[in-house]
Parts: sequence; structure tokens; C-alpha cells
Amino acid sequence: MAVRRLTIKNIISRVRQAFPQASETYLINLINDALLEAGMYRTKVEYAKATTVADQMWYDLSDTGSSVDINKVFRVDFMDSAGDYIKVPRLIDNEILKMDVT
Amino acid sequence: MASNHSHPESDIAWFIVGDKLALVTTKGTDSSSVHSKSGDWKGIDEAVTNGILIHYYAEPNALSTTASTRLTVYPDLDNSMHASLIEYVKAKLYIDKAGTSNDPNVAATAMNMSMVHEKKWQDSMVKFGSRRRDKIGGTRVVKTFDLR
Repeated sequence: MAVRRLTIKNIISRVRQAFPQASETYLINLINDALLEAGMYRTKVEYAKATTVADQMWYDLSDTGSSVDINKVFRVDFMDSAGDYIKVPRLIDNEILKMDVT
Repeated sequence: MASNHSHPESDIAWFIVGDKLALVTTKGTDSSSVHSKSGDWKGIDEAVTNGILIHYYAEPNALSTTASTRLTVYPDLDNSMHASLIEYVKAKLYIDKAGTSNDPNVAATAMNMSMVHEKKWQDSMVKFGSRRRDKIGGTRVVKTFDLR
């Protein structure tokens, strides 16, 4: 059975049933706003790898600083001595004694 | 290159402050200093290429407004959510219409229509969104703890 999907052209043509004068660029911008909002509701799961630096505590997750668009991190794995990625726990109390600035 | 941590689940943890991920370890020496004492949390102690694997919820890819293929691509969402995008766009266009119309009746009608489409969008994303996106089905198996 074929999968039912809508192209951007399909979406724009349906919108233009009510708004025939709407410009294509403006409609695409609105669709992009909708996609951004949809991203808040856990629509897409991704993963990324990062390289650790000795004695560096902090790693950048910002959308501009890193090369990926991260909304929420839900799991972190660390490579063990066998080269496998092992899930490491999230520390709830992050007020640790020694805090680095880098 | 593998790390020197044979059981990272026991001596490594992570937490997030703002848009920074902290990776800390309790691995250390028998020194009494908090800077190196085993058991105290401190920054990860070694450089490992691709040592961290981060799983995260991401933003859908934005559409190009200039690419020649922009009209033939599919939105970067599950196909069950594609029709919901129409509701969002119409809601915003009706708000525009309400704001620019000189006729108060047209403006009021456009405002009502905007709210109808806004509600449909909210229902599809928030109220029924998890049901649409959920891929889980079938029977469940309870995994018991290993008490060895």
C-alpha cells in the first residue's frame, strides 16, 4: 500500500483554496515556523558523536556552537575500553564540589 | 580509539546546564585532594575521539525558500503530521487577514477561523500528537533486574 504523504506543493495548493493570493515564499516561511514548533513535541530522534578533551568538563550543545540542532538530550553513552558505547547515568544533583569553567 | 574506562556506567555521569553538557567522572587517584581524589566528581580525565554518543530530540530540517526542488520535497515530519501543517499555515494567514481587513465583520470572522485552525493544530500536535507519532505496538515483556 502506498504511503500517503504531502509535498510542499500539495500543502501550498490546499492553503491556496482559501488564500489564492498568498505568496509562495511567505507560505514556505510559515511552514518552516510550523516545523520549528513541531520540533518541540519530540517528532525527530537523532544522535551525534563528540570527542572528549582531557580534563574538559563542558561541551557545547548550542545550535550555533555545535553542528547539530539539539532540542533535548535524553541519553548519553560513553565509549568503554572495548570500544563499545555504554549508557552513563545523568547526575541529578549537578552542584558538584569541583566545577570547571571549560 | 577506546577509552581507559572499563565500566563507564560506574564512574562517569553527565548533566546539562543551559546549553552546555558536562561530562564528569569519579575516577581518580588515592590523593586526598578534591582535584584528583577518587570518588569526587571532576571533568572527564581523557581525550577520546568520538567518545561521547548523544541521543537527542532534534528539530525537523527547515525548507529552502530558494532551491529549485523546494516544492517537490516532503516536510521533515512523520507523514501522519503533514496535513497538520496546513492548519498552522491557515491559522496564521487568517490572523493576517483579521489584522489587515478594514471590515470589522470580516476581521471577526477571520479571527474565529484562525482560532478554529489553531485548535486543530494544537490538537494534532499536543492532544493527539503522541498517538500519531508513537510507533510502539505488540505485547510487552517485563525485564527483571539481574541480582547477581
